[in-house]
Amino acid sequence: MFEREDETVERVIQHLRRPVAIAAGLDARVMREVAQVPREGRRGRPLWPVLAAAAVVATVLVARPWNRTAASKADTLQFVLVAPQAASVALVGDFNDWDPARSPMQTAHGAGIWATVIRLAPGRYRYAFLVNGVEWRADPNAPAAKDDEFGTPSSVITVGGRGS
Amino acid sequence: MILAALLLVTQVAVQDPRLDRLDPDTRSAVAAVVDSARVARLPIEPIIQRALEGATKGAPSARIVAAVRKLAVDLGTARAALGTSPSEAELEAAVAALRAGATPQVIAHLREARRPPLTMALSVLADLVASGVPADSAAAAVLALAPKARDADLVEFRRAVERDIALGAPPGAATSVRLNAGALDVSGGNSMGNPNNPTRRSRP
Repeated sequence: MFEREDETVERVIQHLRRPVAIAAGLDARVMREVAQVPREGRRGRPLWPVLAAAAVVATVLVARPWNRTAASKADTLQFVLVAPQAASVALVGDFNDWDPARSPMQTAHGAGIWATVIRLAPGRYRYAFLVNGVEWRADPNAPAAKDDEFGTPSSVITVGGRGS
Repeated sequence: MILAALLLVTQVAVQDPRLDRLDPDTRSAVAAVVDSARVARLPIEPIIQRALEGATKGAPSARIVAAVRKLAVDLGTARAALGTSPSEAELEAAVAALRAGATPQVIAHLREARRPPLTMALSVLADLVASGVPADSAAAAVLALAPKARDADLVEFRRAVERDIALGAPPGAATSVRLNAGALDVSGGNSMGNPNNPTRRSRP
């Protein structure tokens, strides 16, 4: 039984090993068909809009090379300050133009725990809390800004670009 | 290219409206610093933010102008130490490290030891010094950790040192102890500096 199967297999192999005769002119026919297939990117799609768009993007990048907000990996961060006696607390810093109106903090049920959430792109930011519109406080849970040139305490936060 | 040049010129000519919060004399002086920084291809946003910080805090004009001038100079020094293409974030962090006492050579070594971004490594160096760690100890620690530690590892290292200092440890000693303890974890790919890390407890 095994010998018969071997013979069958051998015949199939010999058949497959016979040279295949290719009809004359096959190459020419194939190349004609290939030539008639439209090439991607040329059919009805001029190149100039792509170049124009690239130029606009390049222009923006050249004109604003240091735009921090262009960074893509923004982190969402919560800032918290315990200030039971405060009537208002605002978070101010490099991320909101030091404008107290931009990031007012909220307290839940008047418990004196003030919090706000903001998104920050990778970078190092100086910030502080403004209590009752007059009192500057550093963040007790963050490194202090050592180079405070304006005589009031500030803190720093660093948002990393990788693995943080 | 023409469009790009026009946009650039327009941007230089138009003063940032945020500077309107400054009084006219301060605004004029700060705008001059901003323009000079722009010509030198330094980031202008940190300079504007420093001026706005001064304005919001009610600082005198002379102090605001001095602060932004000093920052512009330091940004130039930081760029020289970091090389040709640092990000704005890296430059700001390098300024903080320089002001903390790190030398430009330390920053250059850090650039060689660690792939960018260097923002977190530079910030941790500055923050350690702010916590009381001597600048040379902080620089040595960050340089030792730089090749293998992730940003999160560096942050955890800083926190661990700060905890030890808060508990009464001398800052330099706290840095050395945490560095020696953490070096094993970094080389093993684990998070460092966490005393509750079970991988640390199980190590002989």
